[in-house]
Amino acid sequence: MTSRLEAIDLAIGHGTVLADGLSLSVAPAEIVAIVGPSGSGKSTLLASLAGVVPALGGHVLVDGIDVTAWPVHRRRIGMIFQEPLLFPHLDVGDNVAYGLRRLGQNRREARAQALEALAWVGLDGYADRPVERLSGGQAQRVALARALAPRPAVLLLDEPFSALDAELRQRLAADVADLLRREATAAVHVTHDLDEAAAMADRVLRMPPEPGQPLARVPR
Amino acid sequence: MGGGDGSLSLPRWVGWAWLVPGAFLLAFLAYPLVALGARILDGLGQSALVPVGTGQVAALAAAQALASTALALAVGLPMANVVSRYRFRGRALAQALVTIPFVLPTVVVALAFRSLVGPGIPQGLFLVVVAHAYVNLAVVARIVGAQWAQHDDRHEAVARTLGAIRWTAFRTVTLPALVPSIAASAAVVFVFSFSSLGIVLLLGGGSTRTLESQVLRQTSVLLDFPGAAATAAIQLVVVSAILLGGAALSRRSPRRVMRPIRLRRPTSRSGTIGVRVTSAGIAVLVLAPVLALAVDSLRSRGSWSLAWWQAIGSVDAGTTRIGSPLSALGTSISYALITAAIAAVVGGLAAVAVLGRGPTRWIALVAVVPLGVSAATVGLGTLLAYGRPPLDLRATGLLVPLAHALVAVPLVVAVVAPALRGTDDRRLAVAACLGARPTRAFLTAYGPVLRIVMLASAALAGAVSLGEFGAASFLARATNPTVPLQIVRLLGRPGEESYGVAAALAMVLVAITLVLVLLVDRLGTSRQPAAVGTP
Repeated sequence: MTSRLEAIDLAIGHGTVLADGLSLSVAPAEIVAIVGPSGSGKSTLLASLAGVVPALGGHVLVDGIDVTAWPVHRRRIGMIFQEPLLFPHLDVGDNVAYGLRRLGQNRREARAQALEALAWVGLDGYADRPVERLSGGQAQRVALARALAPRPAVLLLDEPFSALDAELRQRLAADVADLLRREATAAVHVTHDLDEAAAMADRVLRMPPEPGQPLARVPR
Repeated sequence: MGGGDGSLSLPRWVGWAWLVPGAFLLAFLAYPLVALGARILDGLGQSALVPVGTGQVAALAAAQALASTALALAVGLPMANVVSRYRFRGRALAQALVTIPFVLPTVVVALAFRSLVGPGIPQGLFLVVVAHAYVNLAVVARIVGAQWAQHDDRHEAVARTLGAIRWTAFRTVTLPALVPSIAASAAVVFVFSFSSLGIVLLLGGGSTRTLESQVLRQTSVLLDFPGAAATAAIQLVVVSAILLGGAALSRRSPRRVMRPIRLRRPTSRSGTIGVRVTSAGIAVLVLAPVLALAVDSLRSRGSWSLAWWQAIGSVDAGTTRIGSPLSALGTSISYALITAAIAAVVGGLAAVAVLGRGPTRWIALVAVVPLGVSAATVGLGTLLAYGRPPLDLRATGLLVPLAHALVAVPLVVAVVAPALRGTDDRRLAVAACLGARPTRAFLTAYGPVLRIVMLASAALAGAVSLGEFGAASFLARATNPTVPLQIVRLLGRPGEESYGVAAALAMVLVAITLVLVLLVDRLGTSRQPAAVGTP
């Protein structure tokens, strides 16, 4: 799954402009990290790329196709949030199968493929568990499997490890980076932790301190 | 909050607080139900104890209640969505408006619907279903709204990024999360509609009936007390089963941390239009029947007039020949005051008992049981227990307020108990350390909250009593009707005057009820600062 994600002159914000003139290009299978302090608009940028929050201006392109006007569900951009946000009424397997079902797979096919995705994240044998019996790290792994199972063009990660303790965070970040590379999935990873960003990403960018300024590359 | 070990310094009498509500429930709930059971046993051996056709009435009432519940959910869910989740101008007003139909007496609602539709739509099942849905909008909007406000929107965002269209995300993610509250509210609406009396009598046109109206008919027209008791018992079983089922379903919700509610603005143009249309719809839906009623109270022989308002004070316009329609208001108000006093004391003590230790604290749970007992069951049971020799209390005028208090006690407990539990009990220890004796320490810790919630719950109990029709129709004396009874009697007489006077009287009831509910609301708001400084 190799896709390119581009943002051109993107203006973001909830009603009022938080940042504008943002341009970004993520090559197929590349992992780009974006760092910046709280409130700088990192999460809003991801939400705008996914279409969860409408962009206030500019364009989002996937493989050269302008998807700015497309609804969220058509963009094939997966997203993982700070909290796992697992669907509480579904067990682990059905959570992971959710996106596959939306692709038209029947329950059995989707469930079988979900088991495979659970194996990617090291959770074989967890499919029948209710989600409230998972630890924080396990839940975030399930969220990752759920996002990757339908093979999104790009995966956006919005500080997915920030709620975990330091050791677990490090381990999970390394596992996720491995998995993304193995699956050759392009990803944008937002974090306020520069070390985590550097460890995971091919390239690290910094959110601009003022609206109108570009994303700046952080030297390694 | 409430998590400390304050019970050590509670005054000893708190341990005995359950006695008063316990005795009250024994005397005015358990004993009447036993009297009801005894009457059924009396009738055993007689042919057809359960009157012929009861099954059919029950089935039709269930179908009617299902339709009412479906309509209340269909209209109430969008209202719950908008009122509980979005920030928009007039939101507080919309919230208050949604509550109005629920607090209006059912007799008033029925009359208002008659005014609204005029003779154009014949009375019957359709009007009954619409009126039931109207009354119960608040049940759906409040119960589902509370859970919806807690629901994390990002679940839908996740579903959308996984390829779900908006409707699929709602159907597969939001709706399942709301099932517990939808089930809980549906059970309440179903029970209310299944055991409805005032609306069915005034809008059913004789063809639409409930077991509740059957009980009244068997008692007052057919004088078949064993049959009425059996019908009431069947209803009690059905209602209890539904409420227990609803409670079981609503408990199947995953444990969840309560989040602070963050109201949002609609992000899209269609969202903005949706919020505007829904909030305008709330205003129109809620106010139209009440305005129609107000207009009818001011229209006489085709022109505007205060004739009906003047007539409510005249004996000639009344139905008793000894008092004017307005004199019923005096009766209702005195019953409401007695009800408020009894319910506040009984319910208040049941709530206080919750603070104590040991099994007696469960009295608060027992005190909620009357919620599942229909008004006619309460009325008939009380009549059988205390309305005939050797213990005939009808002449005392206390039967109606006692039955009303039984109906109101669960509401008092529902208001007072959480307020007491939410008070930081470490204040008890602080007061005790400063030398206060246990009762003084109790009053220092809980007094400020108690004063306000007791007043609020008394006002609520008064509002319940003013509008109650079912139990009063069994227990009130013919010469001394309450306002809802007076309205029903007026409507039983032909002529424009009777209708106009009933409309004017109903508007008086609307005004008093709204003032009381506003008072309860205000008191509820004024309690907020009490939370300041609590951890």
